[in-house]
Amino acid sequence: MALLSIDIKSRSFQSSTGELSVLKDIHLEVEKGEFICIVGPSGCGKTTFLNIVSGLDHDYEGKIVYKGEFIRRADPKMMLIFQDLGLFPWLSVSQNVEFGLKIKEIPKQEREKKVLEYLEMMQLLKFKDSFLHQLSGGMRQRVALARALVMEPEVLLMDEPFAALDAITRDILHEELQRIWSFTRKTVIFVTHNVREAVCLGDRVLVFSSNPASIKTQFTIDLARPRHIENEGLIARVRPILNELKEELERMENVHRI
Amino acid sequence: MSTVFKNRLTKQIIFYLCILIIWQAVVILKIWPEYIFPSPLKVFQAVLKGFGDFSFVFAILISIKRILIGYGISILIGGALGVLMYKFRTLDETIGSLILGIQTLPSICWLPLALIWFGLNERAIIFVVIMGALFSITMAVDAGFKSIPLIYMQAGRNMGAYSITLLRKVMLPASFPALLLGFKQGWSFAWRSLMAGELLFVSLGLGYLLMVGRELNDMAQVIAVMLVISAISIVIDKLVFGRMEQLVKNRWGYRRKN
Repeated sequence: MALLSIDIKSRSFQSSTGELSVLKDIHLEVEKGEFICIVGPSGCGKTTFLNIVSGLDHDYEGKIVYKGEFIRRADPKMMLIFQDLGLFPWLSVSQNVEFGLKIKEIPKQEREKKVLEYLEMMQLLKFKDSFLHQLSGGMRQRVALARALVMEPEVLLMDEPFAALDAITRDILHEELQRIWSFTRKTVIFVTHNVREAVCLGDRVLVFSSNPASIKTQFTIDLARPRHIENEGLIARVRPILNELKEELERMENVHRI
Repeated sequence: MSTVFKNRLTKQIIFYLCILIIWQAVVILKIWPEYIFPSPLKVFQAVLKGFGDFSFVFAILISIKRILIGYGISILIGGALGVLMYKFRTLDETIGSLILGIQTLPSICWLPLALIWFGLNERAIIFVVIMGALFSITMAVDAGFKSIPLIYMQAGRNMGAYSITLLRKVMLPASFPALLLGFKQGWSFAWRSLMAGELLFVSLGLGYLLMVGRELNDMAQVIAVMLVISAISIVIDKLVFGRMEQLVKNRWGYRRKN
């Protein structure tokens, strides 16, 4: 049986113009240790999808089953890394990373040890007493990663985590993420609108259609790791996915024209 | 020369010396009789005498005690009301509008009513102080909580913080800049209300000392008490609120949003 079984029948929002259906019939089985990337037009409901899977959003029809149990509320077993990070500005870097451990009531010594361990992994040790406004975008991204990883979740849900970064920082973080994933073997669901990024990181790439979102096509990426975003074999894999995505964008445009 | 004038402290010392000199000059010119316009020396002697015979000390202690009780109760009630208004929309729409209306009323207008309800005593004054701070605090808590970005709550829940833990660890610190603003405003309303209340009957506080000075035609004492009152305001502003504002600045790294 799959580690995570996602079965969303529908999710809709009340809007001024009536009911707006955002997700429809999304069925996905995720195996342990799998790295799944989701690409789709922006605004297609990818964030809503992750909110539902993480347990933050309950107003949907369907069910999320994790290790044979229904997900009823958010839990550190599945850590969501938000697009806007959601780091706490009132806490220092190390306090941000420590936050979840404190809630979990981990003893102080163990807490401190873990925080240092993950800060080191993310090369943030020098900045442990800094506040967020003193950090660059890439560094904040790494804080968010450390804050999620320190909880030792079994599943990582990442919502366009590198979208706001410059290309160089993004490349570095891709390599780091692959490195970390190669020895922790977390199960990852990674949402992005960057197809190359998806092919670079994922075992499977799912293309979402929109209005309402559902899984349009699936691609299996069996390239050797570690992969680099400029790799030729990788670029060859990008083309068909881009075509799918383009088709979807054109369809959307036509819908809007009508 | 210019470096001396660039120094803030030097500028201030020179400024206050100038005021003292002009003040003394007006006294020497005998434009007004001394009992209406006392010399700086007389005022200084009145300050010394007030502290020497402990009359100022007692008055300060009595006023401070009243404001601590009144302000403390305002924080408790205002905090609870604010949380309830945040939680229940109906309360927000009903009590919220009432509070907006009442808030326009200067709190000293509650004194006649307080005198009838409680009589000429401590409770009447404390009631007026409470009415001074209560609504600022209620509205600050309600508005402060409403302005917390949803993502902080989601991040908190994802790390396992629910209900009281979420309130303590996420909502209170996240809204701290907004709360501070409201608490500071509440404090200054409470302090003004207290002085006004104490002026109006035999109440043994700082306000009452002002009235005693007037009744004895002792202008030196009146001005001395005024100096003491503003000194207390400045100390609290700088030491308590100033420090907290600095803390917000250091951590959030921006000027307050609102």
